[in-house]
Amino acid sequence: MSVAIALHGVSAGYKSPVLRDIDLEVGNEVVAVVGRSGSGKTTLLRLIAGLLEPTAGTVDLLGVAPVVARRRKRIGFVAQDARLHPWRTVRENVTLPLEVNRTARTNGHISPDEWVARMGLSDAIDAYPHQLSGGMRQRVALARSLVIDPEVLLMDEPLASLDELTREDLRDELLRLWEGRARSVVYVTHDIEEAVLLADRVVVIGGARPARVRGEVRIPLARPRTKALRREPRFHDLVEEVRSILA
Amino acid sequence: MTARRTLVDLAVALVAITAIALVLEVWARAFRVPSYLLPAPSAVLARMATDAGLLAREGGITLGEAAAGFVLGTGVAFGLATAMAWSRPLERTLFPLAILVKLTPIVAVAPLFTLWFGFGTAPKVAIAALITFFPMLVNSFVGLRSADLQEVAFLQTLGASGREIFRHLRVPSALPYLFSGARISLNLALIGAVIGEWTGADRGLGRVIFVANANLDLTILFGAVLVLAAIGIAANALVGAAERRVLHWHPIAIAT
Repeated sequence: MSVAIALHGVSAGYKSPVLRDIDLEVGNEVVAVVGRSGSGKTTLLRLIAGLLEPTAGTVDLLGVAPVVARRRKRIGFVAQDARLHPWRTVRENVTLPLEVNRTARTNGHISPDEWVARMGLSDAIDAYPHQLSGGMRQRVALARSLVIDPEVLLMDEPLASLDELTREDLRDELLRLWEGRARSVVYVTHDIEEAVLLADRVVVIGGARPARVRGEVRIPLARPRTKALRREPRFHDLVEEVRSILA
Repeated sequence: MTARRTLVDLAVALVAITAIALVLEVWARAFRVPSYLLPAPSAVLARMATDAGLLAREGGITLGEAAAGFVLGTGVAFGLATAMAWSRPLERTLFPLAILVKLTPIVAVAPLFTLWFGFGTAPKVAIAALITFFPMLVNSFVGLRSADLQEVAFLQTLGASGREIFRHLRVPSALPYLFSGARISLNLALIGAVIGEWTGADRGLGRVIFVANANLDLTILFGAVLVLAAIGIAANALVGAAERRVLHWHPIAIAT
């Protein structure tokens, strides 16, 4: 398995250290990063995306520095509670990534309209963000990150601000997406069950500041997965295993 | 906003203004107030009708000067705000200078402008530009800085250049601020043009007011002020309409 993301001995945070000595490698798999609020999960994601420089160690993205990988347009980034561009319609928001950085290879095989359709937003394609619910806005955020067919998908608690039923729908959506095409995903969440349901591997960070990697749990549950998994005992065993590392 | 509501709003405003005018009219007649202290509204209106040609011509001149000053002042302000939003050293250099400009009393420099630029249109435009500059500078700067940081990060992960982030995110984010800056600056531009005319001109509403003041000719003085107000109200309405059209996606525009 080729390594898409590699962090070696990474520390971050100048005045008050947030992360120390993080080693993490991600191949063609879904890695969930869990930790308490304020444990540096978002910082980790920002490091991988090149939005933040490490104070020590190296970050490699697809074999190069994140800033270089970014220029090749290979990163999909989904934030918590994405606000989108309020002056653009749903379709225009989804085509935005194709309009910037035109020197890069931009397009997958799936058109923006098709992504909007897959997210179940065809009826709202000409609507503006203020006319959408939180769940619909997150779907748009997903669509606009996927439209460039990224090799690496970085997600920062993308479902945290949604109600429970919408979260479940979107989790199913994500599971279906990841069946379709192998890609490297780093999925940050504080929800342990969500992490176990979605990921191939759960990495736990935490401890007293600065946070370190406290351990990891492989999730050998077969795909395709559905939310029915959550009723099975082995699902709960895995959740408990993660919880015991986190606590 | 429905057409019906607009009509109701207009009717209310008209009734209120008519009521105020009526009170003034009754006052002026009942106490026989001399017209060099407070002319009756009917007398002002009659004078405006008589001198409609003059008021229109001079009003047009003032409007032209104010418009030119507005375009110049706000244009320069937006350019400098862009530079300031781009670089912190430039911000540190330019902002104190901008405050210096802001704190300079316009009335004090207006005669100086006449000395520098003569009695023509130029000093009026310059004063109007100067007075519109600061509100637009502050609003543009804050507006350009108001872009959502998460969205900035998103564009960065796409490898967007600084220029692309500016065009796709910062400028649209600044639009609500630019419009509120424009609303303030519009009225200031008119005041600036009038002050410019006051200190040395042979044309414009400011000149009409100056001469009327010297002659205690209050009907034409109030007539000129009313024309000035009408221009201001029309300009505000125009900006308001443009704002609603451009910012249809914005919560404030949606609320009205």
